[in-house]
Amino acid sequence: MFGVPELDEGVQKGLFYRYQDLAPQLVPLDYTSCPDVKVPYELIGSMPELKDNPFRQRIAQVFSDDGDGHMTLDNFLDMFSVMSEMAPRDLKAYYAFKIYDFNDDGYICAWDLEQTVTKLTRGELSAEEVSLVCEKVLGEADGDHDGRLSLEDFQNMILRAPDFLSTFHIRI
Amino acid sequence: MLCAALPLLWLPLAGAAATEEPTPEPGSPGEPPPGLALFRWQWHEVEAPYLVALWILVASLAKIVFHLSRKVTSLVPESCLLILLGLVLGGIVLAVAKKAEYQLEPGTFFLFLLPPIVLDSGYFMPSRLFFDNLGAILTYAVVGTLWNAFTTGAALWGLQQAGLVAPRVQASLLDFLLFGSLISAVDPVAVLAVFEEVHVNDTLFIIVFGESLLNDAVTVVLYKVCNSFVEMGSANVQATDYLKGVASLFVVSLGGAAVGLVFAFLLALTTRFTKRVRIIEPLLVFLLAYAAYLTAEMASLSAILAVTMCGLGCKKYVEANISHKSRTAVKYTMKTLASCAETVIFMLLGISAVDSSKWAWDSGLVLGTLFFILFFRALGVVLQTWVLNQFRLVPLDKIDQVVMSYGGLRGAVAFALVILLDKTKVPAKDYFVATTIVVVFFTVIVQGLTIKPLVKWLKVKRSEHHKPTLNQELHEHTFDHILAAVEDVVGHHGYHYWRDRWEQFDKKYLSQLLMRRSAYRIRDQIWDVYYRLNIRDAISFVDQGGHILSSTGLTLPSMPSRNSMAETSVTNLLRESGSGACLDLQVIDTVRSGRDREDAVMHHLLCGGLYKPRRRYKASCSRHFISEDAQERQDKEVFQQNMKRRLESFKSTKHNICFTKSKPRPRKTSRKKDGLANTEATNGKPPRNLSVQDTAAVILTVESEEEEESDSSETEKEDDEGIIFVARATSEVLQEVKVSGSLEVCPSPRIIPPSPTCAEKELPWKSGQGDLAVYVSSETTKIVPVDMQTGWNQSISSLESLASPPCTQAPTVTRLPPCPLAAEEPQHPFNLPYDPRPSFAFPPSLAKAGRSRSESSADIPQQQELQPLMGYEDRTHLSPGTANSHWCIQFNKGSRL
Repeated sequence: MFGVPELDEGVQKGLFYRYQDLAPQLVPLDYTSCPDVKVPYELIGSMPELKDNPFRQRIAQVFSDDGDGHMTLDNFLDMFSVMSEMAPRDLKAYYAFKIYDFNDDGYICAWDLEQTVTKLTRGELSAEEVSLVCEKVLGEADGDHDGRLSLEDFQNMILRAPDFLSTFHIRI
Repeated sequence: MLCAALPLLWLPLAGAAATEEPTPEPGSPGEPPPGLALFRWQWHEVEAPYLVALWILVASLAKIVFHLSRKVTSLVPESCLLILLGLVLGGIVLAVAKKAEYQLEPGTFFLFLLPPIVLDSGYFMPSRLFFDNLGAILTYAVVGTLWNAFTTGAALWGLQQAGLVAPRVQASLLDFLLFGSLISAVDPVAVLAVFEEVHVNDTLFIIVFGESLLNDAVTVVLYKVCNSFVEMGSANVQATDYLKGVASLFVVSLGGAAVGLVFAFLLALTTRFTKRVRIIEPLLVFLLAYAAYLTAEMASLSAILAVTMCGLGCKKYVEANISHKSRTAVKYTMKTLASCAETVIFMLLGISAVDSSKWAWDSGLVLGTLFFILFFRALGVVLQTWVLNQFRLVPLDKIDQVVMSYGGLRGAVAFALVILLDKTKVPAKDYFVATTIVVVFFTVIVQGLTIKPLVKWLKVKRSEHHKPTLNQELHEHTFDHILAAVEDVVGHHGYHYWRDRWEQFDKKYLSQLLMRRSAYRIRDQIWDVYYRLNIRDAISFVDQGGHILSSTGLTLPSMPSRNSMAETSVTNLLRESGSGACLDLQVIDTVRSGRDREDAVMHHLLCGGLYKPRRRYKASCSRHFISEDAQERQDKEVFQQNMKRRLESFKSTKHNICFTKSKPRPRKTSRKKDGLANTEATNGKPPRNLSVQDTAAVILTVESEEEEESDSSETEKEDDEGIIFVARATSEVLQEVKVSGSLEVCPSPRIIPPSPTCAEKELPWKSGQGDLAVYVSSETTKIVPVDMQTGWNQSISSLESLASPPCTQAPTVTRLPPCPLAAEEPQHPFNLPYDPRPSFAFPPSLAKAGRSRSESSADIPQQQELQPLMGYEDRTHLSPGTANSHWCIQFNKGSRL
């Protein structure tokens, strides 16, 4: 749908070493033959830094090829470049949308939003509160009133707030 | 209270400035007659505070006069007008007293005038925005200020070497650098005063304003270093002194920030324990912040930075801890003090400029300085922006740069610093003073006047209300997490990583330590935003739909009884409580004696009438009351969509409301249904007999909310809930009275006509309850109380939950005006045999529902009127002590599910 921007050589190298670090026993240092290697999600998800992150699994799923969270080097590089500042806003919105869309049906429905809100609030809100919030969120952004957010709705909403995605990037 | 206290604090310094000469004020000293006098002037005893008060009064009156004409204030920034006024006043004083008086004294300025402004800006700083742009802000503040200082100083020195400055100006390179250091800093007061009226986009504003705050450290250090170098004489300056100068930059800035954070911590911790002494909460905020300022000043650290950090750091915890009223008090006092200080500063600046004995003119120097500060500011901005844009996702474009360069206003800080120079060490001081005055005047007046047209002409992105708030809140959180996760995975620890870490730390330790448990629970941000949105929805709903709908309300048969009910309670209250005085202090106190409650009820019933004219006044000058950006961002589009949606969903579910709602509180609702919902049962659940059923549903909603709110008052928020709850409590006390009283009064002709203005009339009252100056205006500038917290929120969001039914109802009701009447009557038989009192109370509640249908402003008077009914039922049917911990959730559940 969108072209993921290419990364610098140096950055790629750095990322590769990081990738290799994740699973030194699985990933060969020599990548010239493009081996079909995947780092299993269990390794990524068990990183101590990620322990508290509510979205770790979802992110790995979205960026992995078949949605199982196991990442190839390409997935890994894509993930980074989408989050980098070079990626266009639409691309970021697209991936953000995918991350929200927990059940992969192409729409953010109430259930997806509930997942998000529950994760975000770390279970501090009751089910009723969560559904109230979700209802409101849907109401705010749902342009065609079908009770769910399409990618278009989502992008519209983001466009309406010009600096909405301004922080949605990381520096290399 | 504080407003009154602070001027008193000024008196030593401002008074010292004023005491030297007899004043031209009307109260000049009369000769005290010898012997016993019937009447004696004691002017000298009151002179100092009197003069301070008079000056503030003059400044405030001037402000009022400026704002009489919208045209003038929309064209000319207030700061310009104030400076001009100061010039005129200074001229008069000079002409009368033959000597310049009432100068802007550096001591007064730094100790008394500056802190409130900085505290205000630090406390209300949008922290997220600030930290998002921290890199840019720091760059401009540190590198930019250093660059400006050195280039300006050096260029002026070059100008002197080139012979363009008159030889009278005896100044060395160091002198010029000193001058450059004090003239180069962008001034927070001036920037705030001008940018506040320009409304550029948030990012631009925060960059310019953040720079002006943070560059204080740099300015102070530069100024001090240069000053000591000048005093040492350039020959004696060792290499180590330069190193020390660099080191002191870090000491001063980091030290100042540390002092601020320490005091922020103390402040947050203290407010955690003020549960029983709510009244001193606002005082604590000001005292500790001021202590931070003075401590930093004492240790010659950056005091501005200290207060900024203090305000920035403590806000989250303090806001969560203190009561709503305290929050309002803090907000208003802070704004009042800041606005007061700002006004006085600009006026005194104007007055000070008149004193020609202090300054000496040199055209070369003045014009050179003006040119250089503009030129080097622009150059510095362009260079730095170029570098910064390499790292920014959203680069600062050319237009932003123009505004940033042009927005580099100089102000009173520079003036105060130049006055502080030692004439013996800096022989060219007089020239510098003159130049500074010209620079300040030029930037404030010329640039201040032109920046608005410039911004318009360049089509700078204005700060518009454009955000679907809840979405934004949600997505920002999510994005933060996503980015932090990605950063973690790729092993790159950037800004988001640290933000994530900080939030975890905050959640785990800081919030636990600094926030009350109850506050901590409720303070989930997403939920918070949801609350706020609900308020705004409700209010804008009333704004938009109130008038149209209220016409239908007129036809409702139950209207008269409502009014008679209001009358009842008022008259009874008046009869019962002999003393009409209800001090707010009593309301703040949690002492719930019967009389206090009555007082409170009466107080607020009366307020309903009293606030009417005030609202109009407030709405007419929008610059003057506090409206945060956040308050404006509820745009109509979101609201309408939202409403539409909700109404749709309501249509389908409305008839289930009362029944689903009963689940969370089976005890309560079922009880209520005994008395109230009998008709419902007979009417049946299917959507027949629309009006009655919905009415009942609405009533139930209100009641349960009220109950829960009041019950919750037993927990920590007792005093938080404010007057609404007090009023509810009263109902218990008043029941007997009411029963008898209402019987008498009920048939009497209503005094308040049930007119469409009811909503308007009571709205100001309602907002006045929590927040004195925040009113619902019917115009586009919608001022909505944002920081009224839960208690207020609940009442409003209950309002909001009330508001949605009426909307759908309105058409139905208009079409079948007799229906409610017919439907209402069967209810009396049900209730009357049951108990005379509920039957009595019932019609008003129906009326109220009717009215809420008509006006959809289930404002507090309504609730109060409803209270009797509730209170009664409470006592008869309900066991005390309902589920308090989940009250906020429950009522929403009830109304929405």
